[in-house]
Amino acid sequence: MKKTHLIGIAILAIAIGVLISASNDVTTYATLAQAKQSGDKVKLVGLLVKDRPVEYNPEKDPNFLAFYIKDEKGEVGRVELHAAKPQDFERSEQIVLTGQMEGENFTASDMLLKCPSKYKDQEVYVREKRG
Amino acid sequence: MYDNEHLLAGQIGHLCVVLSFVAALFAAFAYFMATMRRQNADTQSWRNIGRFSFLIHAAGTLGIIASLFYILVKKHYEYEYAWANISDDLPVQYVFSAFWKEQQGSFLLWSFWHVVLGMVLIARSGKWETSVMTTIALAEAVIASMILGLYFGGFRLGASPFDLLRDVMEAPIFAQQDYLSKVKGQGLNPLLQNYWMTIHPPTLFLGFASTIVPFSYAVAGLWLREHKTWLKPALQWSLFSGAILGTGVLMGGAWAYEALSFGGYWAWDPVENTSIVPWLILLAGIHTNLVARATGHSIRSTYAFYLLAFIMVLYSTYLTRSGILGDTSAHAFTEMGLSVQLVLFIGLFSGLGLWLFFSRWKGVPQVTTTKEIPNTRASNAEEAPFREITVAVEESAVSREFWMFIGSLVLFLSALMMTGATSLPVWNKIVQSIIPEYVPLALKNPMSHHNSIQTGIAIFIGVLSGIAQFMRYNERNWQGYAKKFAFHIGIALVGAAILTWLNAQWINVQAWQLYVLLFTAMFTVVVNFDYLFSVIRGNIKLAGSAISHVGFGALILGIMSTGLNKAWISSNSFAMEGLIEGAQSDELSKSVLLLKEAAMPVKEGYEATYEKDTIERQTRTFSVRFKKRDENGKDTGTEFVLNPNVMYDRQFSKVVASNPSTQHYWNYDIFTHVSSLPKAELDKDFAKQQEDSLRFDKYEAIIGDTIFTKKHYLIVEGLTKQPTHPDYKPEKGDLAFGLKLSVHALDDPKAYAAEPMLYLRMASGGFTLPATVGQLQMKIRLTEASIEQILKAEDALQYADFKVKEGEVFTWNGYQIQFKGAEREIKHPAYVAQPNDIAVAAGLYITAPDGRTAEAHPVYLIRDNRPYSLKDDVPAMGLHFRFQNIDPAAGTLTIGVAESNESMRRIPIEIAENAPRSDYIVLEAIVFPGINLVWAGSILMLLGLAISLLRRLMSRL
Repeated sequence: MKKTHLIGIAILAIAIGVLISASNDVTTYATLAQAKQSGDKVKLVGLLVKDRPVEYNPEKDPNFLAFYIKDEKGEVGRVELHAAKPQDFERSEQIVLTGQMEGENFTASDMLLKCPSKYKDQEVYVREKRG
Repeated sequence: MYDNEHLLAGQIGHLCVVLSFVAALFAAFAYFMATMRRQNADTQSWRNIGRFSFLIHAAGTLGIIASLFYILVKKHYEYEYAWANISDDLPVQYVFSAFWKEQQGSFLLWSFWHVVLGMVLIARSGKWETSVMTTIALAEAVIASMILGLYFGGFRLGASPFDLLRDVMEAPIFAQQDYLSKVKGQGLNPLLQNYWMTIHPPTLFLGFASTIVPFSYAVAGLWLREHKTWLKPALQWSLFSGAILGTGVLMGGAWAYEALSFGGYWAWDPVENTSIVPWLILLAGIHTNLVARATGHSIRSTYAFYLLAFIMVLYSTYLTRSGILGDTSAHAFTEMGLSVQLVLFIGLFSGLGLWLFFSRWKGVPQVTTTKEIPNTRASNAEEAPFREITVAVEESAVSREFWMFIGSLVLFLSALMMTGATSLPVWNKIVQSIIPEYVPLALKNPMSHHNSIQTGIAIFIGVLSGIAQFMRYNERNWQGYAKKFAFHIGIALVGAAILTWLNAQWINVQAWQLYVLLFTAMFTVVVNFDYLFSVIRGNIKLAGSAISHVGFGALILGIMSTGLNKAWISSNSFAMEGLIEGAQSDELSKSVLLLKEAAMPVKEGYEATYEKDTIERQTRTFSVRFKKRDENGKDTGTEFVLNPNVMYDRQFSKVVASNPSTQHYWNYDIFTHVSSLPKAELDKDFAKQQEDSLRFDKYEAIIGDTIFTKKHYLIVEGLTKQPTHPDYKPEKGDLAFGLKLSVHALDDPKAYAAEPMLYLRMASGGFTLPATVGQLQMKIRLTEASIEQILKAEDALQYADFKVKEGEVFTWNGYQIQFKGAEREIKHPAYVAQPNDIAVAAGLYITAPDGRTAEAHPVYLIRDNRPYSLKDDVPAMGLHFRFQNIDPAAGTLTIGVAESNESMRRIPIEIAENAPRSDYIVLEAIVFPGINLVWAGSILMLLGLAISLLRRLMSRL
């Protein structure tokens, strides 16, 4: 057998080994109900519930944020995140969280905000008339 | 039918798009014919047609770019592109950022670089021109089709940058003939108003665009079966491409670190991954290309890597522009409905490349030798018992080409792993389209996933880039060389062990794998240094690879020190104790709350003080002073001020970006950014609600007197006509008053200055701006009643008139008042010059009985044949002056003097106590040790590529 073939097989084996070990790094997208059921670490996609309170009291703790999220099935749940509140939080159009259910709360380890409005406000500004 | 539209620029632009598309297609066809008929007489004329068409294409592309720039610079908002990306107040240097912010603009940038590269190839590539330009012209046609904006039934081919706003958007305003006078540009996202956005995209796109040249040479080599001659020009171009693409990616990292607030230079974001993948594959190709040139081995892999590098650029384009990355990337992408076209783009070029690769596979030369085998076909004894056959020879296991090939495979593996993880959303989409109930997958934590895999890769690279350097191509005398090899590797092992131990003293190496990584990085540094001095003896022309590999080692060291020793100093566990809800692990507390003007101890002996904030345009800049103290609490003299800022939207109601500020030292950086602000500062509506809900109590202020409230007392120091307030920008013609107060808590002697103010502005009306004393949670404001009081008191003044000549002194109530002369230049704050005004000010210099001095400059003005007088006053003395009139014949003028009785002036003010504090910032501060190693290591890697390129260009090797 040729050396390059041996090396090729070795590299293939390493790659497969890495992929198998990386399967632990993968999680699924889930809804609140699924997260509750499994208790696993999942990705949760949803919208900020704007009529429920956003708890952020930096004088008390600048690294604690809690809010309500509505998932794709329409279920609402409370989210806790140990981080400062991002500046454009209220403007977010979509929130992607990684975390798991702990009791009634979804404890997130990270959060990604989608704010397309940051880039484009879909409205025409009206300029005041002069002269 | 609409007023003031400028439709010509768009029509010219659109014409240029069509022209450039058709010309590129035609150039591809002509060059293809010239290549196919290269043995025939008419190849010259086909080539000339190809050149001419490509020139037309180039002119068309420049025409599109010029038209779009014209529209942006002229701010023609009738075009959607201008409306969405430009505004009246956008500084002109950001037009470039606006130009390539959108997909069409970045396609144009890509196309532009292809045109430039194409021109160089036409001039320089000689016999390769027709075959190489066939591919490039074809790619140009495809890119031009992305901005065609033509409709075929329901299918739209490309998205035009010249779409009109009224065609794209439905709004009642477009029913009006003069709609354009009411439309205002949206402006550019403040995050992109940044010089990095001006230089990073063109560099990165030149890097992406240049990968097509090695690709085209690979296609040409396969197509013409010129499997060896293509290797030389391909190597030069791939070195160029590697150096530029690397610079582009590095600039992205530097931009992220310097200007974005995520606190780092690399985040394994899909956009970053897909830009580094083509670079890694290109590097793999460069290594096998070197092997192929030196030994004849690895020609097939060189083909494969160069083909793949460009295909991965196309794949990256698809990932970032089709919107498929959706919720896995922090970069916001706008989907433009080009997915189908992008997939076809990938399909066309990978199909073309792979078909050629496999159909020519057998013909690609390998290193061969002759070997005698028994001649089984021999039928009688007269025929030779053995016959000679040609067999492929493998690389020797102790040769440089063997280990370089392995190294290239490892680089490729690295790219493969990154691509796999980044492609999960694509995988999800494909599987979901087949099995609808499939649950999509995502990475739990992309950072740790990529870090752990790439750590393994980097260990291999460290080892291979070390040992291969001291091996020789075509090794035939290993026995004679082995000793020397062992000696140098031995030195390197010892050196690496020492350096690893030394670095482990300051880097917190947490795991054995990381020790291995550190050791191998140091190993390659020592080997390549050794090589630099003992083998090539400092000959800089040959030093490219050694410099690059030293750079790689330094980069790994820098990544380890910044990654492992990165420390959040912005936490104060003591001050926060007992206030924190729930269990809180140390690493989660990354931010600290800084109250204005209150020093807050943070970690590592630092003390942070939020001193002030200033507003300019839409940017609010905070000054935070850091002081370092030693263990005994003594000042170490290390002190610096950082100025992180936030940017508001144009209505000044929301914060849209937070920009960091970093203190650089040679061995570490301190990186800060404002991670949060009080809600009242972020949201003007909320601030108003909050203020409305406060309980204000009414008081009367008498100058020189003291007001007592429940918990505080306020000394009324005086009125000023030049008030200062963070939210007040003085304009000519304003009538403004500020009340100077000194505020104290009943139980604390510390005084806080407060200056509530109000102003009247001709065009817009009267405004009151409250003063906030955050430390005392007080809000103090003047009301409309206050201004009446102030003005009424002024009306009631009794002026005594004096006739004076220039230089004369007169006395009034003990005040010595000198009239020094008439002044033509009017500095009076309330005076707004108009044409045909005749205005003169009297320069009055006053000395009070107690020796204090002051000056006043009342104005006399004739406007439209009517005289006016603008009074001036000296609030500190309570004096008021009017310039009553002039007697030109006598050379005298009349000055009126009055003194206000401050005790008669009761100014109503309103005071709220227990106002929520909004004078704080939430700050994140991170120490990055060894960050300069990251930059230095990366720059060395790219410098090595550049040196190798220059050497090959100069020596024509």
